[in-house]
Amino acid sequence: MRALGSIVRLVLAAAPWAMARGAALSVVVLLMGAALLGLSGWFITATGLAGLAGAGIAFDVFRPSAGVRFLALGRTAARYGERILTHDATLKALAALRVDLLRRLAGQGARVLAQLRAETALTRIVADVDALDGVVLRLLLPGLAALVTYVVAFLVLGMLAGWLVAAAVLLGTVPPVAVILWRLGAASLGPSRAAEDDTQALRRGVIDALRDRESLIAYGRLMARETELLAVDGAARRAAAELDTIERRAGFRLSLVATLVTGLAILAGGFLVARGEAGAAIAAIGIFVAIALTETLMPLRRGFAELGRMTSAATRIVAVAGGEARPVFGEAPTLAQGPALRVDGPQLDLALEAGEAVAIRAPSGAGKTTLLLMIAGLLPAGAIDIRIMGRDVAAWPDEALRHVLTLVPQRSALIAGTVRDNLRLAADADDAELWRVLAAIGLAGEIEHRGGLDLRLGEAGSGLSGGQARRLTLARALLKRPRILLLDEPTEGLDDDAAARALAGVRQLLPDAAILAALHRAYDHPLFDRTLFLRL
Amino acid sequence: MTETTAPPREVRKQTTDRILGPVAAELRRSAYLSVAAGLMWPLQAAVLAWIVAGWVEGATDLGRTALGALGFVAGGAVRAALERLAGADAFAAADRVVERERATLLTREARATGPMGSAAVAALATQKLPMIQPFITRYTTAMTRVRVVPLVLLLLTLWLSWAVALIFLVAGPLIPVFMALVGMAASEASRRQMEEIGSMNDMLIDRLAALTDIRLLGASERAAADFAARAEGLRERTMAVLRIAFLSSTVLELFAAIGVAMVAVFVGFSLLGVIGFGAWGTPLTLAEGLFLLLIAPEFFQPMRDLAAAWHDRAAGLAVAEELIALDEAPRVPLIGRAVPAAPMAGPLRVRLDDAVAALPGLAVRLPRLDLSAGEAVVLSGPSGSGKSTTLAAVAGLVPLASGRLEVCGAPLGDANADAWRARLAVVPQRLHFAAEPLAAFLDPRGTGADPWPALDLARARDVVARLPGGLDARLGETGGGVSGGEARRLAVARAVMAGGDLVLADEPTADLDAETARQVIDALLALRDEGRALLVATHDPALVAALERTVRLPA
Repeated sequence: MRALGSIVRLVLAAAPWAMARGAALSVVVLLMGAALLGLSGWFITATGLAGLAGAGIAFDVFRPSAGVRFLALGRTAARYGERILTHDATLKALAALRVDLLRRLAGQGARVLAQLRAETALTRIVADVDALDGVVLRLLLPGLAALVTYVVAFLVLGMLAGWLVAAAVLLGTVPPVAVILWRLGAASLGPSRAAEDDTQALRRGVIDALRDRESLIAYGRLMARETELLAVDGAARRAAAELDTIERRAGFRLSLVATLVTGLAILAGGFLVARGEAGAAIAAIGIFVAIALTETLMPLRRGFAELGRMTSAATRIVAVAGGEARPVFGEAPTLAQGPALRVDGPQLDLALEAGEAVAIRAPSGAGKTTLLLMIAGLLPAGAIDIRIMGRDVAAWPDEALRHVLTLVPQRSALIAGTVRDNLRLAADADDAELWRVLAAIGLAGEIEHRGGLDLRLGEAGSGLSGGQARRLTLARALLKRPRILLLDEPTEGLDDDAAARALAGVRQLLPDAAILAALHRAYDHPLFDRTLFLRL
Repeated sequence: MTETTAPPREVRKQTTDRILGPVAAELRRSAYLSVAAGLMWPLQAAVLAWIVAGWVEGATDLGRTALGALGFVAGGAVRAALERLAGADAFAAADRVVERERATLLTREARATGPMGSAAVAALATQKLPMIQPFITRYTTAMTRVRVVPLVLLLLTLWLSWAVALIFLVAGPLIPVFMALVGMAASEASRRQMEEIGSMNDMLIDRLAALTDIRLLGASERAAADFAARAEGLRERTMAVLRIAFLSSTVLELFAAIGVAMVAVFVGFSLLGVIGFGAWGTPLTLAEGLFLLLIAPEFFQPMRDLAAAWHDRAAGLAVAEELIALDEAPRVPLIGRAVPAAPMAGPLRVRLDDAVAALPGLAVRLPRLDLSAGEAVVLSGPSGSGKSTTLAAVAGLVPLASGRLEVCGAPLGDANADAWRARLAVVPQRLHFAAEPLAAFLDPRGTGADPWPALDLARARDVVARLPGGLDARLGETGGGVSGGEARRLAVARAVMAGGDLVLADEPTADLDAETARQVIDALLALRDEGRALLVATHDPALVAALERTVRLPA
């Protein structure tokens, strides 16, 4: 519930002015609707009376009938304005929330990023955010509008048609409706949450199964997995069916209350008429207003039925949004004296000047990847003292650090899109610059042969060979023109000639960069000034 | 480019039939219940008119009013109950459609790979499919109501006043005309919205999978901005759908409001005696006037409901078109059923002769191959020469367009593929760790056997011992949590535990340092020494040298 509250604040804060106008209009719509039917009913009844009394000519028909037209057209226009304003404001807030979630995920440490399952993160950003569109649109706004409308209707009815009629409408509606909605919310909490959670589990399961397809088939487990997914689907649909039953039961009860309240208004009006305390036309107002107020109730039931779905999604989103990440923005620290990179740990002492290159050799699992991630600020350095340009790596804001230092990780990923899209992820460079970098690392010929910068890659950059993909990620990093370049197995998947050429290209493009590379071959390349054996 | 013209009528009918056809009976029952509910209102309106007219004419005793109130409430209760029942049938129908379509997707997409990315398939099954539901629950009902309820109300009106009936007759048919105009814009907007949902999902899963790189390139802001453009695009397209829906419902409400206001004014003037025409002979009574006023909004309501259902239909058909396009897409079906089976009998033998693998739009020529029990064979050749496709064909993952593939002396087919695969173990090139503990990953056939001997054989004991959580640890999708070499050794351990007497390995030493590669090669050789045959695709010279026979594939 607290999570839901912070989502409400977030949605309202995105466009408070539009939301406020929308909220005001939604009250206007309901009030005008009530006034319209009330006035029409009074008008007909009063004209009937006047006609019977033979006073037809003297009756002022123009003001009431102008009122009817004004209310009819005004309500229609107000409803349109209200819908556009509130939906637009909500969708804007949710689009911003999606982007914010992605940003926060991107700011997490290496451990979180490595363990991150894309399908789980996807459900956060897509499904959970989708679940929240009703928080304001179907819960808060209709609820508040209904409440305000009832209070205003009570006051106006009281003054016009007598407090007995007004009390019958207000007391006949608000307490039972509150009970019905409260019970709806309570009963639907479980199934609504289960339906959402199971649907998300299904989404993740489908992605996981499709990506794990080959081994599922090879080991004869595909049908079993399909059966599992069908079971998850069954659970999701059972919860949805239960939710539907609960929701329809509440809808039935709300309709019943609305009918009963109209019945009460008839009785109250009849009582006043019988005692001669009110005329027929005045008494009729109460009945017509009671009928009109029915339309305030039905939209509420959907909002309350979604309560479980909304709270569980809100809780998950707030958990991501509240997670602490490295500060992204901020001033770059004042640079102190010292080498470009200095690493000082229990088993390691390394100083790297600008223009120097060092190769690290270590067996698999010795911790070279961990060391590079620590230097890149993606893992806490612990006992090791790491200084970038003389300053502790922890003191660098992320944005500033990425500006001077780039790491090309071992399992580097490309994205779907053109070669140009992939390269320009690093920097806004023109085509000439892109070609220059590709040429330097010896990839220009192959890319040109396959369609140039417009060559389109598939999901996760598929369509290139392993070696081509490796060099493309290298080229991407070089475009950043970092002062410190960290490379994790840069020559993987390359034959010896291509590896030598790529490494030469790195130095040619970045003559002044400090370079630290972890590799198991080509460490004797002329690029490197020395070689270090690592045993962490 | 996206298709921007509305599909022809027959296609739309086909699409509608596919969704609504199988549940037509439930939908019809739901529609009849809903029509019955709609017909309760004229009864309630008549009771109300009778009460209020009575008050005016001096029949003010409370007993009469109470009787009327009771009648009104009874009518309302029946109406509410009928609507509840109608809703149950409609939901059941929609649920059956979702169940059927989802089952189709879930049991097809992994069996026969089609053109759609994993995230887009998941979005279709879980996000878009439910968007069909409003179409199912509302469209048939709205269509049936619009055929019955306005007609009944028109006849009732005509009985009392031809002038009011005339107002209805003029204002009513404008609504369907307008609706048809809106319908075209709505279906186009819905289609574009569906497309954007699919592409936003695919883009997002891609960025999320590359999130570490994006962070390291300092491109988080750029990726966020790209995604913001996508999210904004989805918002715009969603708003475009909503704007059409809101605008059309506003215009229809306007028609209805004008109609109702005209009725009110006419009735008012008639009652005052200013207008002397419009009713049959006798002037309109107050009860009749009230009744007409009360049923006027209900005359227009079914048409407004249909207009709303028209938008649901546009969304539903856009999803259905995607389902149909996916039905008709080219696919690569697997051979067999992918169920556990008793291992095929007979001595191990694989023979590949003049075979051509059938990939969509691409025929890959496979090498001649003859492999017997205990043999170790290397497939080598430049990338793109068909090494991985050969392994896939032997595993029955890719069908042959022509030529022969014999396993244990019999042609590989649907009947024996599962039994054949029970004799295989695979070490894939791209490792994927499913969302399960490491112990489950290592034991793909679910034997429950002790994994440690297999881990020892694959030189992977220390990998698991170092992991926080050990065998209960959960790794990232591509093995996040362990290094590339460690992940590869875990995959070999998995192949050991899978058993079988032929191991298919695709680039098992890629991204390993020489020392670790040597360990993996040793592990593979240990498998061979146990009597298992090996078929390995690689261009690692050390691995080629370690195995006895090489089949070279031409470029």
